Amino acid sequence: MKAAYYSPLPPSRSGVADYSALLLPELSTRVEIEVARPGRFRRRPSADVLLYHVGNDPDAHGWIAKELERRPGVVALHEFVLHHLVAGLTLARGDARGYLDAMERGHGLAGRLLAYGVIDNRIPPLWESRPEAFPLAGDVLRSATGLVVHSSFVEDRAREAGFAGPVWRIPHPAWPLPGIAPAGLGDGPIVGCFGHLNESKRIPQLLAAFERVRASDPAARLLLVGALSSRMRRLVLPDGVHREDYVDEARLWSLMAACDVVVSLRSPTMGETSGTAIRALSLGKPLVVSDVGWFAELPGEVATKVPVDEREVETLVTVLQSLLADPDRRAEMGAAARQLVAREHSLDRVADLYASALEQAAGGIAVSEAVVREVATAAADVGIAPGGPEAKELAGRLEEAGLGG
Amino acid sequence: MRIAVCRPQVPFAWGGAEIFTDELAARLRMRGHDADVVSVPFKWYPGERVLTQAFLWRLLDLSEADGRHIDLVVSTKFPSYCIRHPNKVVWLLHQFRQAYELDGTDLGQFSESPADRVTRRKVQRLDRLALGEARKVFATSRNVADRLERSTGIAAEVLPHPPQDLEYRCDEYGSFVFSVGRLDRAKRIDLLLEAASRGGVDVVVAGDGPDRGRLESLANGRVRFTGRVSPEELADLYARCRAVFYAPVDEDFGMVPYEAFLAEKPVITTTDAGGPLDVVRDRETGRVVEPTVEAVSAALAIAPEEAQLWGRAGKTLAERVTWDRAIDTLLA
Repeated sequence: MKAAYYSPLPPSRSGVADYSALLLPELSTRVEIEVARPGRFRRRPSADVLLYHVGNDPDAHGWIAKELERRPGVVALHEFVLHHLVAGLTLARGDARGYLDAMERGHGLAGRLLAYGVIDNRIPPLWESRPEAFPLAGDVLRSATGLVVHSSFVEDRAREAGFAGPVWRIPHPAWPLPGIAPAGLGDGPIVGCFGHLNESKRIPQLLAAFERVRASDPAARLLLVGALSSRMRRLVLPDGVHREDYVDEARLWSLMAACDVVVSLRSPTMGETSGTAIRALSLGKPLVVSDVGWFAELPGEVATKVPVDEREVETLVTVLQSLLADPDRRAEMGAAARQLVAREHSLDRVADLYASALEQAAGGIAVSEAVVREVATAAADVGIAPGGPEAKELAGRLEEAGLGG
Repeated sequence: MRIAVCRPQVPFAWGGAEIFTDELAARLRMRGHDADVVSVPFKWYPGERVLTQAFLWRLLDLSEADGRHIDLVVSTKFPSYCIRHPNKVVWLLHQFRQAYELDGTDLGQFSESPADRVTRRKVQRLDRLALGEARKVFATSRNVADRLERSTGIAAEVLPHPPQDLEYRCDEYGSFVFSVGRLDRAKRIDLLLEAASRGGVDVVVAGDGPDRGRLESLANGRVRFTGRVSPEELADLYARCRAVFYAPVDEDFGMVPYEAFLAEKPVITTTDAGGPLDVVRDRETGRVVEPTVEAVSAALAIAPEEAQLWGRAGKTLAERVTWDRAIDTLLA
C-alpha cells in the first residue's frame, strides 16, 4: 500500500516539520510513502491514500491546504483553529472575497460582516484577537476523508463542527533521548519555559508568579528559551530570569535537562499539542500546564494543571513553590512521565497507529462493504428482513466487532 | 459444570488442535463435568472471508443449549475465541498468525493492497476485542504468550497441556534419531536430513505431508520414511530411538518434546524453534543449537549415556504437566 505524504519538512521551523522528520523514517518501514513537495509544476504523487498534515501557519501549510482542496484525503489536524491559515491563503494574497466567503461559510452572515470589519480596519484582525471563536476549520473538514488528531479536544471540536468521517486519535510521538548532559547553570532550583514565547504562552502571568516564588526562594531561576514575540519583548524581566533566544536542538535538550520543573502554559488554545511538553515528559521532568485543550488531557500524575482564571497567578505560585520544595514529588512525577511516554508516545507505537489509520482509510470501506454484503446476503437468504430486530442485532454485532459499514 | 470446548475445524484436516480439544473434553468428562466440543468450519481466504467466517462465531449463542445453561466456554484458537459468553476462558493455541508475525513472509496471506492491509488490521482489532472479553487467557507456551502480549498487550498465563495418551516407555537408546510430524517445510526435516547425512547418523521419519516427495529425494540410504504410523508404532519408535529431532520454525507449542520426554528421550532442537524452548534446555534435557547443518550435525552425535541422562531429566519435567493440574488451573 502506498501513501502520499504532505507535510512541511525541515529546514522549515514549524513544529509539524519537526514532527514529520521524526515520524517519516519509522512510518516508511510500515507503509510505502511518497513525500509530496510544494511547487505548481511538480507531479502529484499517485497513491492509495493521501495524508495531509494541516496546521495554522500559512507559510508552512498553505500549499498543503490547497492540495487538499483539489484531492480529498486523510488530514492530520495538528490544531483545530485554522483562522490564521485561512486568512493567509486569502487576505494575505489579496483575495478579500475568499476571506469573506470563508467567514460566511463558517459563521454565517455575522461572520461575513465581521470579515468586512477586519478588511476595513474597523476591528482588530480576528486571527489575533479571537481566533478560537472563529476557527474556520470547516473547509478543511469538508475535504477530509478521515482525521488524525492528537487529543479528544480536537476530536470533539471536529464532531461539533459536523465532521462525520472516521477519526483516529494518535498521540504525539516522543523524540529519542539524545545523550546530552544537562547545561551547567549553577546552583538553585530552575523552572524552564521553552518555545515561541508569545502572549498565548502566558508569559506575563509566569513572570509575575516567578517574581513571588523568587521572593520566598532567592536561589530560584526561571529559564526562558525561545524567540520572544514583539509584545513580549517590552516586558521587564525580573531578577533570576535566564534568557536564551532560539537554540538548536542539542542546546534545547541540554537546557531542559537542567530544569527541575518545566512550565508549558497556554491560553487561548488552538487545540495544539506541545513538542516542548513531550520533550519534557521524555526527560522525566514534572510539568506545569494550563488546564485547557490537549494539556488538560495529560494525566494528573505527570502534569499539574493550572486553571486559566482570575487566580491563575496565585495558583501558579502555589504550584511552583510546592513542586520546588518537594523533590520526592518531582521524582514521582518524572517517573510517571517516563512511563507515560514509553506507554503512549513511543515512536514505534505512533507509527503503528498511523499505518493502521492509513490502511483503514485506504481499504476500510471496501472491506467493510464486502463483509456487510456477505452477511446481509446470508441474512436475506434466511428471511431476515431489513430493519427488523434480527437485522438490527446483526448490525450491532458487526459494529461491535469493527466490521460494520 | 457444563463446558463447551470451542475450536474451528478445517474440514478434512486433523491435527494437534483437534487432538487437544477432544482430549480436553474427554478429561473434563472424566472429572464429572458435562463437556462437549463445539466446532465451526473455518475458511480464511480469499480476501475478507477470514472476517465473515470469524463473525460466524460472534453470532453463536452458547449461553445455553436445549434449555440448559452452559457455565463455561473454553476457546482455543482463532476464530473460536470470538464467541460471546459471560464466562469465557481462552486456552490459546495460536492467533491467526498470518495477521501477525507471518505477515510479509512466504507463509503470510495478506498482500500489500489496501483491502488486504485493512483486513489484517480488522483481524487484529477483533483479537483485541474477543481476547479482551475473556475472563482469563492461558497460552500453551511462553512463545504463544509473548506473541499475544506483543501484538495485543494482553497478558496470558502459560499453561502447557500434556501430549496425547500413548503407551510411553523406553526400551533402549538405539542407533537412530527419530522425527515425527506433518512433513511441511516449516518443520525443517531437510535440516535433519542434511545434518544426519554429514554425520553418518540413521534417521526414521514418521508422518506425511506436502513436503514428503522433496524430502525423500534429499534422503540417503540411512533414512527411513514410515508415513503415518499407528499409536502403537509411534510409541515403539519413541521407545527405541536414541533421540528425537524437533526443530520447526517459531513453533507455537509442540507436543513432540513432551512425548519424547515421556519415553525418556532427549530432544534436539534449534534456538529459533519457539515453543519447544520452554522445555528443551541445552545439555539438560537435550540439545539447543543454531539452525545450521554444522551445529545440528554435531548435536546429533549424542552418546547413549547422555541420551539417558537428558531424557530422564526431560521425563521429570514432562510428568509435571498433567491434565489434573491443567484442568484445576483452567477452572480455578
